[in-house]
Amino acid sequence: MIDTVMIACVALILIGMAATIAARDPFDKLISLSVMIAGVFPFIADRGYLDVAIAVALVAPISTIFILMACRRETA
Amino acid sequence: MIAIVVCAVLAVYAGLRVVTERNTMKKLPFVNVISFGVAGVIALLLPHPLTILAAAAYFVGSTLESNAIASTWAGGMRRDD
Amino acid sequence: MISTPEFIAGMILLVAGSVSVAYARPKNYVTRLINLEIPAWGLLLVMLHFNESLALFTFAAISVLSTYIFVRTIQKREGA
Repeated sequence: MIDTVMIACVALILIGMAATIAARDPFDKLISLSVMIAGVFPFIADRGYLDVAIAVALVAPISTIFILMACRRETA
Repeated sequence: MIAIVVCAVLAVYAGLRVVTERNTMKKLPFVNVISFGVAGVIALLLPHPLTILAAAAYFVGSTLESNAIASTWAGGMRRDD
Repeated sequence: MISTPEFIAGMILLVAGSVSVAYARPKNYVTRLINLEIPAWGLLLVMLHFNESLALFTFAAISVLSTYIFVRTIQKREGA
């Protein structure tokens, strides 16, 4: 991988991690978690595991939707 | 070479804008910008015909996630029981 | 060999995420559940460093299932 792209993906992971830990509102935490997940995918695709990348990309939003079920029950 | 660097730098800039934005609803367009940038990085990373399918799968998944967050934040599909 | 960026980023995610789950700031269940996603992705990156393809598949599927079970448990606990 090109060094600039690698540094950008690591920076995206660390920015998302810090924002997820620091945020207080559950929706802000989920949006920051989406930023962190976006930084993980180029590493999976760089190793050549494209089938794993497709499977994880289609399965990961289901986890977020399950967490949103708990969020709505708490705020309502 | 230059296209993938532009995509990655754009994604990092949008990530910084997401973190520094205060309003929750104004964060979501920048999440969309990150989704476009990372899909471009995935598609341009390897010279393999399956990478465009991986980028499409990531883009579909990220859009679904953002729409689910926005729909729940706006209180959509509320059933009065 | 050990200094690939996947391994370092995964270890940072594992340690910071585990500490943030243990000492969650708004001390409720949803915060802990969202923070629990951070070590999961860190473990995925560490598995990627060791080239474990089948472990990646299995972990990605089982993580969603365990999240569903946690959500049902939280709803049953708060509804009672």
